[in-house]
Amino acid sequence: MEIEARRHVPPRKKLTGGTILVYALLVVGATVCIVPFLYMLATSLKTVGETITRVDPLPWRADFWPAVPQWKNYLSSWRDANFSLYFRNSVLTALITVAGLIVTSSLAAYAFAKIRFAGSRVMFAIFVATLIIPDSVYLIPNFITITKFGWYDTLAGLTVPFMASAFFIFLLRQFFAQLPNELLESARMDGAGHIRSFASIVMPLSGAPLFTVAFLAFIGSWNSLQWPLVATRTERWRPLTVGLTTFMTEAGPQNQLRMAGAMIAVLPVVILFFFAQKQFTEAIARSGIKG
Amino acid sequence: MRDTVTAYLFLSPSALVIGVFGIFPVFFTLYVSVYRWRLSKGAFSGFDNYAKLFGGNVLILLAVLASVAGVVLAVVLMRHRTADHPRLRVGAGMTLLACSIAGLILALPLLASGGDKDVYDALRVTIWYSICTVPIQLAGGILVAVLLTASVKGRQAFRVIYLTPYIAPTVATAAIFELLFSLRPDSFANQFLKIFGVGPLQWLQEPKGIMPLLFGTSAQLPTSVIPSYWAEWGQGPSLALTAIIFYSWWVFVGYYALIYLNGLSAIPRQLYEAAEVDGASKVRSFFSITLPLLSPTTYFLSLLGVIGTFKAFTHLFVLRSTAASGTVDSISVSIFFTAFRKGNMGYAAAVSILLFVIVLGLTLVQQRTTERGVTYGD
Repeated sequence: MEIEARRHVPPRKKLTGGTILVYALLVVGATVCIVPFLYMLATSLKTVGETITRVDPLPWRADFWPAVPQWKNYLSSWRDANFSLYFRNSVLTALITVAGLIVTSSLAAYAFAKIRFAGSRVMFAIFVATLIIPDSVYLIPNFITITKFGWYDTLAGLTVPFMASAFFIFLLRQFFAQLPNELLESARMDGAGHIRSFASIVMPLSGAPLFTVAFLAFIGSWNSLQWPLVATRTERWRPLTVGLTTFMTEAGPQNQLRMAGAMIAVLPVVILFFFAQKQFTEAIARSGIKG
Repeated sequence: MRDTVTAYLFLSPSALVIGVFGIFPVFFTLYVSVYRWRLSKGAFSGFDNYAKLFGGNVLILLAVLASVAGVVLAVVLMRHRTADHPRLRVGAGMTLLACSIAGLILALPLLASGGDKDVYDALRVTIWYSICTVPIQLAGGILVAVLLTASVKGRQAFRVIYLTPYIAPTVATAAIFELLFSLRPDSFANQFLKIFGVGPLQWLQEPKGIMPLLFGTSAQLPTSVIPSYWAEWGQGPSLALTAIIFYSWWVFVGYYALIYLNGLSAIPRQLYEAAEVDGASKVRSFFSITLPLLSPTTYFLSLLGVIGTFKAFTHLFVLRSTAASGTVDSISVSIFFTAFRKGNMGYAAAVSILLFVIVLGLTLVQQRTTERGVTYGD
């Protein structure tokens, strides 16, 4: 679905009071969105003393910013917080989760969208019903389960429980169902089974929705905190989110280091977002479409 | 037949994962909740955990349940006004609603005082958080979406900027807000207030409610059970929770706007043109065309938002301070701490069953009550 609002654009818009008001409101809102990020940037470059003395809240005034940017804050933050390890852990966890999720969800979505089988409605209803269960209900039993499996504090414990999701099955099914059945039927005439039609017809045609799922699942895994707090004990597989919260406590009053750490976590995601804004916004908008 | 086998083969990987980590846990939680379970399984304890949660008096619990059922029934009765005897239905509905609310006013404080106060505090925090975030985010989202469609230049740039707080990792942005709203006089929020000659305030460390802070009313609570319970509600969310509410607005308005933009693009332009021909003002067409046709989106977002507040964890975990913990710990945070910091899993399991029932009830009620009010524009 196009998210670009297809509204007519008059050829020449005069600068009326209304237009000025629209832009004024939008600029005020945008400022509110950005100022916290600027505050993070400014603080991350200050000296300890400046975090207490140069604290003007308005970014267009000089005292909002440090006198001389202290880039070395980033180095000490990176080293103190052991970010190299946490970054690797987060990337690995997210990639493995997404890979597993894509395989399981697309297979299930295909079955629900394109195969007529006994119990299809019941199975789908059971899957969808899991969507309303709050995460807190999973926390305790899943902790006990992974401990029993010997997965406590391992990569498996962090990834496997998230390798299937009714939400993404639902999302993909909506898309697969729109693909014309004739395509599959003609393939079946040629003797292709469901596995062939799935792999060589449906999947290649579903780039955009698969990207949506991959992207949302990646963000979800990258940002998750609760489960990694529960499922890990040592640094071995701890992701960035847990590392960062630990570091925030350890850095104590060293606000410039804490903000440098926050910057390190924010930057990759935001840069990625700026480069692929269209795909990002579409992916997020698509997740909001209900069937 | 072969198709059925293939289909189940296709379903098996996700069915396995969802079965083990998504469906089995619900029953397992029930199982854990009837044991003394401190990190490892202890003695069977029957309903002890629930007794701690609800207090010993079953009658009070039944009174609360009956009142809740009464409210739901009253709403259902009154929504079906098109059926026979509309007057009678509204009359009966109003009476039932009044009785049920009176029942709640009397029974809820008794339940809270007999049971685990921490859990009821956490529920109150969650409800305040819900009430103060979802409606504002809906209104803000619509406003931004409408402004974005009205603007011509820089629409994409604005969209990216408004979405950035939602995209950025929660742990990091929450850490920024922890700094912005810290109690120090040199913090951003206090420096900002200084411009207006107000403050400084304790922000995230302030457990006091905003009502006494704003209006200077006494924070002294009456001593008897029922008035003191409602007086606690009357304090409003704590200032610490208010700072967290600001954070939620900051993160979610852009996301809501994006979803609303989607809904706006589905509204046929001819409707607005027709309204213009009929001489309707822009404001009028907003209220008679835009808002009603956006109701499916509003429905979807409000459901998502309310359930989201019951699930919220990450930013609450980062922004909580020991000083204000009792006034910012929502039900999901409280469950986490009970299970994994205090190690009391059996009891935490019982609380999470309560949470599950509440979320389930909210979903069902919201479906029943909003279904009829929602316009599905084609």
